[in-house]
Amino acid sequence: MAGLTRTAGAFAVTPHKISVCILLQIYAPSAQMSLPFPFSSVAQHNRLGLYLLSLTKSCDDIFEPKLEELINQLREVGEEMDAWLTDHLTNRFSALASPDDLLNFFNDMRGILGSLDSGVVQDDQIILDPNSNLGMFVRRCILAFNLLSFEGVCHLFSSIEDYCKEAHSSSAQFDASNNNLESLTQYDQMDMENYAMDKATEEIEFQKSASGIVPFHLHTPESLFKATEGLLHTRKETLRTSKKDTEATPVACASSSTLEDTLVDESLFLRTNLQIQGFLMEQADAIETHGSSSSFSSSSIESFLEQLQNLAPELHRVHFLRYLNKLHSDDYFAALDNLLRYFDYSAGTEGFDLVPPSTGCSMYGRYEIALLCLGMMHFRFGHPNLALEVLTEAVRVSQQLSNDTCLAYTLAAMSNLLSEMGIASTTCVLGSSYSPVTSTASSLSVQQRVYILLKESLRRADSLKLRRLVASNHLAMAKFELMHVQRPLLSFGPKASTHHKTCPVSVCKEIRLGAHLISDFSSESSTMTIDGSLSSAWLKDLQKPWGPPVISQDSGSRKSSTFFQFCDHLVSIPGSVAHLIGASYLLRATSWELFGSAPMARMNTLVYATLFGDSSSSSDAELAYLKLIQHLALYKGYKDAFAALKIAEEKFLTVSKSKILLLKLQLLHERALHCGNLQLAQRICNELGGLASTAMGVDMELKVEASLREARTLLAAKQYSQAANVAHSLFCTCHKFNLQIEKASVLLLLAEIHKKSGNAVLGLPYALASISFCQSFNLDLLKASATLTLAELWLGLGSDHAKRALDLLHGAFPMILGHGGLELRARAYISEANCYLSDPSFSVSTDSDTVLDSLRQASDELQALEYHELAAEASYLMAMVYDKLGQLDEREEAASLFKMHIIALENPQDVEQNMA
Amino acid sequence: MVSKDSCRNEIRAAIRQLSDRCLYSAAKWAGEQLVGIEQDPSNFTPANTRFQRGSSSIRRRFSTNESISTPLPSVGFSQAATPLPEEDEAIDGDFYLLAKSYFDCREYRRASHVLRDQVSKKSVFLRYYALYLAGEKRKEEEMIELEGPLGKSDAINRELVSLERDLSALRRTGAIDSFGLYLYGVVLKEKGNESLARASLVESVNSYPWNWSAWSELQSLCTSIEVLNSLNLSNHWMKEFFLGNAYQELRMHTESLAKYEYLQGIFSFSNYIQAQTAKAQYSLREFDQVEIMFEELLRNDPYRVEDMDLYSNVLYAKEACAALSYLAHKVFLTDKYRPESCCIIGNYYSLKGQHEKAVMYFRRALKLNKKYLSAWTLMGHEYVEMKNTPAAIDAYRRAVDINPCDYRAWYGLGQAYEMMGMPFYALHYFRKSIFFLPNDSRLWIAMAKCYQTEQLYMLEEAIKCYKRAVNCTDTEGIALNQLAKLHQKLGRNEEAAFYFEKDLERMDAEGLEGPNMFEALVFLATHFKTHKKFEEAEVYCTRLLDYSGPEKEKAKSLLRGIRMAQTGFPSMDLEHFPI
Repeated sequence: MAGLTRTAGAFAVTPHKISVCILLQIYAPSAQMSLPFPFSSVAQHNRLGLYLLSLTKSCDDIFEPKLEELINQLREVGEEMDAWLTDHLTNRFSALASPDDLLNFFNDMRGILGSLDSGVVQDDQIILDPNSNLGMFVRRCILAFNLLSFEGVCHLFSSIEDYCKEAHSSSAQFDASNNNLESLTQYDQMDMENYAMDKATEEIEFQKSASGIVPFHLHTPESLFKATEGLLHTRKETLRTSKKDTEATPVACASSSTLEDTLVDESLFLRTNLQIQGFLMEQADAIETHGSSSSFSSSSIESFLEQLQNLAPELHRVHFLRYLNKLHSDDYFAALDNLLRYFDYSAGTEGFDLVPPSTGCSMYGRYEIALLCLGMMHFRFGHPNLALEVLTEAVRVSQQLSNDTCLAYTLAAMSNLLSEMGIASTTCVLGSSYSPVTSTASSLSVQQRVYILLKESLRRADSLKLRRLVASNHLAMAKFELMHVQRPLLSFGPKASTHHKTCPVSVCKEIRLGAHLISDFSSESSTMTIDGSLSSAWLKDLQKPWGPPVISQDSGSRKSSTFFQFCDHLVSIPGSVAHLIGASYLLRATSWELFGSAPMARMNTLVYATLFGDSSSSSDAELAYLKLIQHLALYKGYKDAFAALKIAEEKFLTVSKSKILLLKLQLLHERALHCGNLQLAQRICNELGGLASTAMGVDMELKVEASLREARTLLAAKQYSQAANVAHSLFCTCHKFNLQIEKASVLLLLAEIHKKSGNAVLGLPYALASISFCQSFNLDLLKASATLTLAELWLGLGSDHAKRALDLLHGAFPMILGHGGLELRARAYISEANCYLSDPSFSVSTDSDTVLDSLRQASDELQALEYHELAAEASYLMAMVYDKLGQLDEREEAASLFKMHIIALENPQDVEQNMA
Repeated sequence: MVSKDSCRNEIRAAIRQLSDRCLYSAAKWAGEQLVGIEQDPSNFTPANTRFQRGSSSIRRRFSTNESISTPLPSVGFSQAATPLPEEDEAIDGDFYLLAKSYFDCREYRRASHVLRDQVSKKSVFLRYYALYLAGEKRKEEEMIELEGPLGKSDAINRELVSLERDLSALRRTGAIDSFGLYLYGVVLKEKGNESLARASLVESVNSYPWNWSAWSELQSLCTSIEVLNSLNLSNHWMKEFFLGNAYQELRMHTESLAKYEYLQGIFSFSNYIQAQTAKAQYSLREFDQVEIMFEELLRNDPYRVEDMDLYSNVLYAKEACAALSYLAHKVFLTDKYRPESCCIIGNYYSLKGQHEKAVMYFRRALKLNKKYLSAWTLMGHEYVEMKNTPAAIDAYRRAVDINPCDYRAWYGLGQAYEMMGMPFYALHYFRKSIFFLPNDSRLWIAMAKCYQTEQLYMLEEAIKCYKRAVNCTDTEGIALNQLAKLHQKLGRNEEAAFYFEKDLERMDAEGLEGPNMFEALVFLATHFKTHKKFEEAEVYCTRLLDYSGPEKEKAKSLLRGIRMAQTGFPSMDLEHFPI
């Protein structure tokens, strides 16, 4: 480095710390008394002790309470003696008239410490053990004060003046509280019963306020305070969370612990480095969690970061935060600029403590991490080729500098990139990159590369004990197994496996392995939580022990429990771990969705939404909502889905690249198709297509979705040849980009098109191909629906095949009825009825209930979907059956239903208006 | 054209007024310009002759084309009969006199205290100005006292709030004079209110144009040409000085040169103008000219330290060790604690290859002025030499953050990353530097080399870059040669031949020889031979025969081949024919 950077100050005397010292003096006065003056009972004394303990613990946080807040807290702790406490506190402060008084004050402080080697301690003597927490605090304060230069003392003195002034400026409130004090002192004269009752109500009130109001008004010296003030509310909402899976894990692991060792107390500074680092980590989490949603404005955090940067130009992590912030608000140029600036300044050594700096590469900086981050940034902004180039370079540089950790992460990022982005040909990519890969790679497909990269990354992560990376690699592997048929890498010759099938068991295994992280974590929690946020965790947890000390006056047993609350909050799951576990649930939901179990998918999504919804990244939470709404639309009809969508929209629409918009378009399109409003459907299709990026290979999912829907719209408009054209070209795209699962549904669509166009013979091979695809990918639900189409196609070939169609249908029925959506079920019922009716051996008059039951079921379900075309068909069939049976009333009823649906189908606009 | 006499009178009055108000640097500047005007023949005394430099070679060079390159509207000077600065009250108050002497002893607070009840405009200004300076002084002290581990503390000038309040009140009542407006502008600028500050400064310079400090403040607020053009400035010859300076800062060097040339008509002996001209020429890379100018400047003003760092850069570029050491010694004796002096010494050590010492002096320069742009960049260069890339990157980045238009630092960043084997990452920085200086072939060549590295091997892009370099008149001829070679590598022999021929032409024109020439000749001979253009091939072959070495043998065998192809017979041994 340019040598102009300095090491961070560790511990600075602040007015708040002096307050704590004054209180400590009260707690343990140097005079020898068993119970110092103001305390009436040992319990009271202990309570103050506990309070002081928590205060000293939270002293490492970036925020400190103002004097006024401190006094408010004292009131709750001190009960009847609080007036005395606050008086004493303010008096002591006002007694500080010159810097010399400060000097004397700290000299006095020395007196309350017991000497280290004093063997004889009288029973009734209160002595602060110099090695206890409180004693250490006092010693640190004294030391820090002694290190101050005279100018430093002067500055401390003037900041004390400000500190007291702030408290006095809110004198109105102060007076009010004084009144309150008086009334409280009257309680002494009351009898105990009354007292206890009042106390109870007060306690309830207090707890209410504790949960509602900010427990600490946060205090920092002037400017930083001003800067942070705006953020307080967001900070409060922020729950500890995490990063994107592999993408930001390096950041998550960042620990400032090494800094602590090298800290040299140089001079006064706003806060210590450790505190600020911790605070920034929290902010990073907040950016991740909220994205740029409305509750969390990126401009406010930006202005705050700017101020922080002004105050502390050598704090380079600010640049990284600005980068994250810009990344989430989709500002490419600013993000790039800040990322580069961060690495230019910090050389990748600040904040990224994945590898102990002793490994020798510190001399050259660790710029490979810069490459990794840059690659991931390009990935996020949808520049796959740039990202690939950069990551390739990252691989090369990490290898050169033998930074295995970075290599493992880079490989994971690369495999992620390759699997997410549609990259058609492999020859241009990875040209000169990773030697273990390239040696065998020339003939490999993208999938095989992804597999190799993942395996390699997993191996390295495993040997380096990067648990988060191992977990996320397992998840990636599960995703891979889910989507791809495993083939031996060198498959040639007669012994090549012919069994091409995905393996759900291995998917499940990988997911489980991924979720093992949580148990790994709990066994070595101590090593994983050491980031700067630890110290601020104290502050948050203070909120909880607050209530109990008040309660504990009547029951001594509770006190012990409150004490433990101090400790066990420290072992909370770090955000990144929670995030990964959450991701595993989402992946489970996705895989169940594909395998065709609707309830399981729904259950897993719900687990995710309830357990991790608040703490996860906004994009994951959005995905969970999306899945739930899709489920609603499929199984409950549009009304519920749209109601749910409204809620989700409020929450997520401001997030960049919102998937909710996509979902909305999908739902609208689906409904327009069902209602027969084809113009609207076409328009929505076009809009969908417009959402996708124009770059090759980017947003593949969206593009496939858009053209699939276009084909369906054309099909509904009875333009069969065009629909078939679109579907064909879509199939080619899917083949080019290796989208196997999409292929299955495109084939099914082609079969549908041929079925509708009356070419059942042409449709058959497509349906069969789709079924075989479904089999090899274990897509049970899709297979059932393909079987249904197959049955319909057979039926279309003539009544001779009705029997065969019925058999097929009945084979698929368990799956369809158990897991299928409304539309699929209705279709199955109608087809079944059709089969029966066209079967010459079936007589309506004897067995009418079989048919009628199915038809009734079908029309009920179609009602919810507003699917007029099918509903009309169902009512038509019903009317026919009733006609056969000679039940004229019912026939008329069915006929009128039929007429209604037909009219609605022909005039979709009217229906729209009616709905509106 | 404004008359020299009126200028002289204006400046004389202004200097008095400025020093009355303790605006010393503005007074100093005005004084420099005053003697820069050609001497009054009336009080022409031999003592003044040393300022006369009419015989200078440089002067003549410029005076020749003066008539052509003064497209400035003389309209501005039609109203050049600006009112002379009105004289201050004849008798200064006693308190004012005391306060001024306190001020001169740098006891600012005392000075402002003495003036607490004074009402004359001069006293009021001095009071506020002293207060401002007292606050600044305290701020500097506090900055060091409070400097935290992470750099800058939040020390601020504590007087700013009260100053802003008082001055804005004065302004509202109209009791503010142009000096007050200047101070108000400075205060506003410091408080971050740039647009108001600009307005206030414009008002100040319009009513009192002779305060160069106000102009400089205004210039620092003009960050883009749009802002500059939007200023509503009334015409005065001082405005030309301002524009010249502002254009220079906005990297519009030719415009700025034009302004200065025009001003030289009046202020023919101004050191300031000469230094500024040299600066602009330096940016245009006219090193020889700049050297001459600086030499003369030093002859006339031997104890000048300002701008001498630029001179040292020129000497460095010309590798004039002795001159550089002489310069360093001189400024060192004049004032060793000036950032410029440290920078010059650093340059000297750098030229001598003692990079650690160079870094030490650059660092000292930066201690004295943290925003000293060129010192950061130069320090980056030193670190690159020392192979300490992270430190180099850090230094360059600081330069870039101080002034994002510093193409040298961007280039340095690119170079550093390329050195570390991260060419793709480096490309971004090269692109940045080229953005700010698109006409420099060196930058294009650097970028092309980056594309050419074996890691990237993006030859098409490299070719594009080299082409741009050729268009920017690449003096070293790297681009043509590389273009030819790249085309050859890609198997495009036609293009390769084209560029080899061009390169050959260039080398012929400059009378150069060397391996590049052999290479070109051999390629061209073979190329034309394979395309059956035997005559051309023969020409190149015979040229090759003039040189000794393996090329000669190659040429011989080529010639044999040509003969054979031409006659259709296996030719006889060429050795037998005397050539």
